[in-house]
Amino acid sequence: MEKQGNLRNGPEPAEFRQKLKIIIILTVLALFVLMIRLWYLQVIKGDELKQRSENNAVRFRKIQPLRGLIMDRNGTVMVDNCPSFDVLYMPTKGVDPELMIRKIKDIYKTKSIDYSSDLPFPKTVKPYLPVRLEKNVSIQKVALVETNAIDLPGVYVDVTPVRLYVDGEIIAPIIGYTGEVSKEELEKSEEDYLSGDITGKYGIEKVLDPHIRGRRGNELVEVNAFGKVIKNLGRIDPASGSTVVLTIDAQLQKAAWEAFEGKAGAAVAMDPRDGSILAMVSLPSFDPNLFNSGIVRTEWEKLQKNPLNPLSNRAISGQYPPGSTYKLIVAAAALEEGIITTETRISCSGSFSLGNRSFRCWKKHGHGSVNLHRALVESCDVYFYTVGKMLGVDKIARYARMFGLGEATGIELAHERKGLVPTREWKLARMKEPWHLGETISISIGQGFNLTTPLQLAQAYSALANGGTLWRPHLVQRIELSDGSIVKKYLPEKKGALKLSPKTLSALSYALWGVVNEPGGTGANARRPHADVCGKTGTSQVIGLPQTDKARRMQKITAFHKDHALFVGYAPMKNAEIAVAVIAENAGGGGAVAAPIARKIMNAYFDAKKKEKAVKVAAEIKSEDETED
Amino acid sequence: MIFFKYDRRIFQNFDWTLCGLVMAICAIGVVNIYSTGFSLSDNQSPLYLKQLQWILFGLLLMMITFLIDYRAINQAAYMVYGISVLSLIAVALFGHTANGAQRWISFGFVLFQPSELMKVSIIIALARYFDDHKSNEPYLLRELFVPFMLVLLPCVLILKQPDLGTALMIVIVAASIVLFIGMNWKSIVITVVSVLVMLPVAWLFLKDYQKDRLLTFLAPEIDPLGTGYHIIQSMIAIGSGGFLGKGFLKGSQTQLKFLPEQQTDFVFSVFAEEWGFVGGLVLLMMFLSLIIWGFKIALHSKDLLGTIIAFGITALIAWEVLINMGMVLGLLPVVGIPLPFLSYGGSAIVSLLAAIGLLMNVSVRRFILQR
Repeated sequence: MEKQGNLRNGPEPAEFRQKLKIIIILTVLALFVLMIRLWYLQVIKGDELKQRSENNAVRFRKIQPLRGLIMDRNGTVMVDNCPSFDVLYMPTKGVDPELMIRKIKDIYKTKSIDYSSDLPFPKTVKPYLPVRLEKNVSIQKVALVETNAIDLPGVYVDVTPVRLYVDGEIIAPIIGYTGEVSKEELEKSEEDYLSGDITGKYGIEKVLDPHIRGRRGNELVEVNAFGKVIKNLGRIDPASGSTVVLTIDAQLQKAAWEAFEGKAGAAVAMDPRDGSILAMVSLPSFDPNLFNSGIVRTEWEKLQKNPLNPLSNRAISGQYPPGSTYKLIVAAAALEEGIITTETRISCSGSFSLGNRSFRCWKKHGHGSVNLHRALVESCDVYFYTVGKMLGVDKIARYARMFGLGEATGIELAHERKGLVPTREWKLARMKEPWHLGETISISIGQGFNLTTPLQLAQAYSALANGGTLWRPHLVQRIELSDGSIVKKYLPEKKGALKLSPKTLSALSYALWGVVNEPGGTGANARRPHADVCGKTGTSQVIGLPQTDKARRMQKITAFHKDHALFVGYAPMKNAEIAVAVIAENAGGGGAVAAPIARKIMNAYFDAKKKEKAVKVAAEIKSEDETED
Repeated sequence: MIFFKYDRRIFQNFDWTLCGLVMAICAIGVVNIYSTGFSLSDNQSPLYLKQLQWILFGLLLMMITFLIDYRAINQAAYMVYGISVLSLIAVALFGHTANGAQRWISFGFVLFQPSELMKVSIIIALARYFDDHKSNEPYLLRELFVPFMLVLLPCVLILKQPDLGTALMIVIVAASIVLFIGMNWKSIVITVVSVLVMLPVAWLFLKDYQKDRLLTFLAPEIDPLGTGYHIIQSMIAIGSGGFLGKGFLKGSQTQLKFLPEQQTDFVFSVFAEEWGFVGGLVLLMMFLSLIIWGFKIALHSKDLLGTIIAFGITALIAWEVLINMGMVLGLLPVVGIPLPFLSYGGSAIVSLLAAIGLLMNVSVRRFILQR
């Protein structure tokens, strides 16, 4: 069949045949060597290597990085890291783990310490994968385990860094807490998580986790049969997370917390000049340190079942009727829309009639004839019923939105609520019912469907305080590396502006000054000598807490139906430096309860400032003295 | 030139043995990669599925390289080589870096490793050259200048990545082809001597970290975190498999993640741990059959071009199998060379399957071409 057409001009096929024969023989030989080697490893040395695979003594261990610090605006460390001692057990074949636990319990008993762990022991133990028996144990237990090491083969103490929340519950709702990465996070997240990693679960810890977390390290260690490290073969150091610097002032935060004296509620202190949050408290709160090594189930249930919901941050997710603090917005709308002038007087007899319904003023016998200034100072309801009726709900809503109400402020925290600014359209869509005029009357004094968060109120009043700029509230100043180099800087952001005439602005702020400083003003309790505090009180009727059902079952039913006390204000009147919104839940009247809290917060702010100034002056004098010498 | 002409004989004489062997080895590879990913609790899309997708894509490419007459493909040999070199340059300029090496071009969702394509391109480029410059006498050194440059250019680019294993593989395969078609004895001696002389000179030009890398390559025990650890764990894994193996998904070395690089270069350890000596032997026999079959195709080809292509591709597979297994079994130093069809890696499997298409191409066309 072979035709010699001689396409090939080159080496003869016979030569190739010869070469290929040799090559094939060489290949077979080489593969035969591999086969012999395979036989040697698997059959001759098989048992020995099998033994070694079971006792595999060399292993990689991941080293958890230190999470970044969280500091306040003055560099005070609010969240640090501290060592936690865990008791671990490396299971060995043929040893009952339960027996080992019993042994540990017996050793503890000699010093009458309890074995305190509700960590379930895994049903199937893989040899040479350590099991965490107890987390975050006392130094005493560490000593006991270490000194009895001979009787406890495979049991050892491991040191891991855990979070230390210096101010605990005072700032917990903002900073949040950490915990071991969950199954869902492992499956869903695009982040590079491994099981056992620590991750932020809530608050800043969660929102900025990618920055705070740091980078895992690795080490190669040789361990003995009991899992104890006997030799370090090499390591790649972990990289600590970045430091987060907040706009919070730790001292002011503490003062705000203390001002509440344990009452439930929330307060936001904000710099009206750029929207940075100076303090934000929410009460009751929780101790984030409890979550460090996995929260004990009973503690978790206690937090979950508490009707006051300590895990929520009321400052951003608590939605309350704004009460009379809303009158500022109605007043702004009325002036701008030309419904009234600053001189328009309305007579208050103590009640306001609409059809056959009668709406009462908080002052039984009425305020008499009042103008806008007095109506705000004395918080006359009838005045605003009248004005609100003339404005209509939709116009009020437009101004409320201008002040930033009814939408999330956009602060760097999760779970922020939008609040509610009702309109005709909203009601028709939501309730399939037309708007009733009577509802406008309620809206005019901040009751009814109106809902705002404390943060929104602080934002709205800040805008008035700074002359009309709506700043986005922000909590984070910057993120930096441990050497101080900046990773990311958060700049203030303008969200909008109040489109109000200068005349309206000055009339309103003068009225807010009057609320606090004029005789008969409802906010007299916020007055500070030599400081122009401006503000507005509010007392909002309670519609119900989210946990009403649970609350009803509580004995003190009436306590949950008491009014919420509000005060929102700023100081000083010109060039305001601090705006404060306070809400105390079920605590009574705004003037009586909330205004003093706001005063205390402002006191703390201005006292600290004075002190700082004094220190500075003293330092200057001292340095001058030194130069003179 | 004949681009594609339907010919009944292409299908009548289809090389079922070769195709079947390759498919069987690929199937073993996928099952084995499934096992390596079995205990991954981390968030990773299963590797075996990705590998399966790459194989399917590779099979498509294989059909193309099979159907188009290899003499037509030969016309494009330098173009394919040029594209490969250009993509290597692209890697050097803006390649994707991982594990300290810049080896990939990122196309958004897929990473392409041009050096894998280069392994095949160099074979067809050399085949083209020697087919164009036929000689009845063994080649002299000066006649080999062009082939030498053809090999040197990609090697320099690949060494820069750095990827010593792949560069070495290209040199070995090219050398095999040259020696196979015949090289003057004197020329061989001169080449070997000059390489030996050049080595210390080259050493002086290396940067410190490159020297370190070479040293660890030559003496793994100085880097216990790296290659030394690999070798120890690999041998423990293989040995602990015993005669019959620990069973599918039961390899403790694998499942407990003691074994590094288990989807790629050390994939055979996983296989040997779970399937034992019996499994290893079966796999070795399959590779041996594939290699012998490939050399037979080279022998029976009706023209020099087919012979060189078939020989080159088979030599590539043979060398990769031998070096990879030698290193995994602790007989050779660790150098990054994957096990053909078993190691995870999209570019490698696609390039290999395309090469197998060429091999089948040569195999079938001996029944069509007239001598």
